Amino acid sequence: MNESYKIISSSMLYWFSQKRWFVFSVLLAILLLNLATPVGLNVAGYHSLIILLMVFTLVTFEPIPFPAIALLTLVLQVLLGVAPPDVVAASFMNDAVLFVMGSLMFAIAIVHQGLDIRLAKIIIKLFGRSKRLFLAGLMTISAILSSFLGEHTIIAIMLPIGLSVVKNVDTKQTDGKNAVLLTLFSVAYGTIIGSIGTPSGGARNVIMINYLQEFSSIHIDYWEWMKHAYPILIVQLVVAYFVLQFAFPTTLKNIQIKGYKKKVSKSNTKNNINHLFSFLIILLIVTSWFLFNEEFGLGIIALCGALIFMICGMVSWEVINKNTNWGVILLFAATISLGFQINETGASSWMVEKFNGLLALMPESNINFSWPFMAILTGLTANFFTSSATVSLLGPMAIELQPTDISFALSAAIASGFSFLTVISSPTAMIIYSTGLVSTKTFFKVGLLMFISSIAILYLMSKFYWVTL
Amino acid sequence: MNILIAIGGKEYSKPTLELGMKISDSFEASTTIAYVGKKISQFSEKDVSVVHQNLDDRELYRPGVRTLEWAYDFLQSKNYIDKKDANVTFNDHLIIDEENSRMRVLLKGSHSNKIDLILRTGEIIDQLRAEVETSNQEITIIGGGGNKGMHHKLVQFIDSSVMVVKNYSPKRKYRILLPVNNSLGSNKAIEIAQQFAKSKSLPIDIITVLENKPSDDKLKNILVSTENRFKEAGIINTTKILEGNPVEAVVNYAGDNSLVMLGVSPKNPILKYFFGSKPISIAQQCNCPVLIAK
Repeated sequence: MNESYKIISSSMLYWFSQKRWFVFSVLLAILLLNLATPVGLNVAGYHSLIILLMVFTLVTFEPIPFPAIALLTLVLQVLLGVAPPDVVAASFMNDAVLFVMGSLMFAIAIVHQGLDIRLAKIIIKLFGRSKRLFLAGLMTISAILSSFLGEHTIIAIMLPIGLSVVKNVDTKQTDGKNAVLLTLFSVAYGTIIGSIGTPSGGARNVIMINYLQEFSSIHIDYWEWMKHAYPILIVQLVVAYFVLQFAFPTTLKNIQIKGYKKKVSKSNTKNNINHLFSFLIILLIVTSWFLFNEEFGLGIIALCGALIFMICGMVSWEVINKNTNWGVILLFAATISLGFQINETGASSWMVEKFNGLLALMPESNINFSWPFMAILTGLTANFFTSSATVSLLGPMAIELQPTDISFALSAAIASGFSFLTVISSPTAMIIYSTGLVSTKTFFKVGLLMFISSIAILYLMSKFYWVTL
Repeated sequence: MNILIAIGGKEYSKPTLELGMKISDSFEASTTIAYVGKKISQFSEKDVSVVHQNLDDRELYRPGVRTLEWAYDFLQSKNYIDKKDANVTFNDHLIIDEENSRMRVLLKGSHSNKIDLILRTGEIIDQLRAEVETSNQEITIIGGGGNKGMHHKLVQFIDSSVMVVKNYSPKRKYRILLPVNNSLGSNKAIEIAQQFAKSKSLPIDIITVLENKPSDDKLKNILVSTENRFKEAGIINTTKILEGNPVEAVVNYAGDNSLVMLGVSPKNPILKYFFGSKPISIAQQCNCPVLIAK
């Protein structure tokens, strides 16, 4: 057989094997485009839902790079007549996108300062009396910091502390293995749980705030969000502590808190002026989020954080440029733009109508099924699709379900932060998994218990606590 | 010659590394030992990278580096690396980000410059394919664990000979089993088998399989010429003509004390992708190491 034919067909096969989900999504889209538009839905709305389906497939299986998915989303919106170019361009950039960009850059600047040793000293001082208390402290501090600075920032700072403590633990024995898992999960669950606490805890929170303002003219400020979400965070932390003790029973005898204490005390951080400046900048930004989020927007304030670090020379543009995930920023911008079009074209109203039609088929009872269905749907989708992308695409529908009741929108955003089931659901989960010490199976097993508990906590809080606010 | 040895967990990679180094040694080849870490979602790849940089700064090595460290120690214990500088420890070595998802462990001090330790992250076929392209690897050696589909894809898409190391024990006495035919791949397999057998003083069983025909002069001639070639090279060998289904015949004949070396199928790549090929089936069904030469 002709060698060049073999090489070409082999290359084409390789391309196909790598891009099969892209080919599948394109074929599916072509098929759907040739079907009749569903009754009650206009052509633009129908096309926006076809793009939504494509984005779900492409983001889940990643056959092409994220920036390519983002550009494809924008191009298709115009080509399929969902919206004119100017409208697509205008919806591409808003405060939520600026927040994603600013918080990613701000995170890199903070992590670059090497604050983990300083933090370790504080945690040891506050919680160093016993090993179990130390781990509880690690989880609590991770949660508090993550609620303000985002989980991707805090996991990067806290993980080296956790790994230092378990550095030489023998994982061949069950007790040692459980000690390692308990430590890593304490950090991971702390940061995941913390991210629901304030708007700046995660991009999904800011996206939902933006959607609420645009679609329902309801404004939720920083403090308002905290009043709703922080009590849930606290209860979740307590539950997580016991879930982890139950899942990973261990004597903790292998954990080297004393050795780590010695190592940390030897490191000289007193004269590190960057740490002081970092602390002041973080304090300034968090305070600004509290006080000026209405005037300046959370995104602009986050950008200010990165800007101050760069102006002060504490981080270079090269470091920020190298470590910022520009693809994710583009993707969020594109999915938010698509979310806006899904709402504008009436596709979200149509989906909600269909959804309510399905609920009407259920046997009559006093239970309102739409809340648990929506919370579980967003929670589960976020676990397979990541939380921010879920909110940017399903957010308009959650608002449409109860446009005047913020508890639906808030619940959807908070439930999408319950990334306990899969390792692809959040940066924290992926980082913990990338250590090679946690398997997907273990993550799911423990996470299932945590996910169910979290949905129950969210339901009880929305039913009995939020109504009092 | 360049040889790539792909390793996974420490427990399972020992036989792969041991046989891989024997082959590499017989060719006096430059060897790349690569660990392919778990694929990171595009959402989190930069976050993971930042965390890994942080871990490196604090000498909290990522798991792949630990495995490479183990591989390095293993090579030293087997004298594949001459350690001249007693003060050099693995912790003194540096990890250099070379390109997207590829890192090289730079070894300080005096050591063999024929060994490269590479850490990659991503989808395994993708990464090994990239590694073969980057360093012009001629043989890729990988463990027999994992799913059969992966070995199929490796043979199909990697532009080098592929050896799947299954059920290898250094204590067992091996012979090379060389099924021959008139393909280009078979010629390459004969070359590799000759070099390896000569270097390690292993006997070779040369076989050919007649499928649905009583005799084939072409195959008989190849068998005789291969036998003469090995005789001239001073390699102990036997020849045998088998009949029946080639896959079953080779698998049954191989047992578990053979190192099977055969050529890649000359079949259309599209047909191979969807329906497989005889060499791929042999590699999947044999309970011993199998090399498919390209």
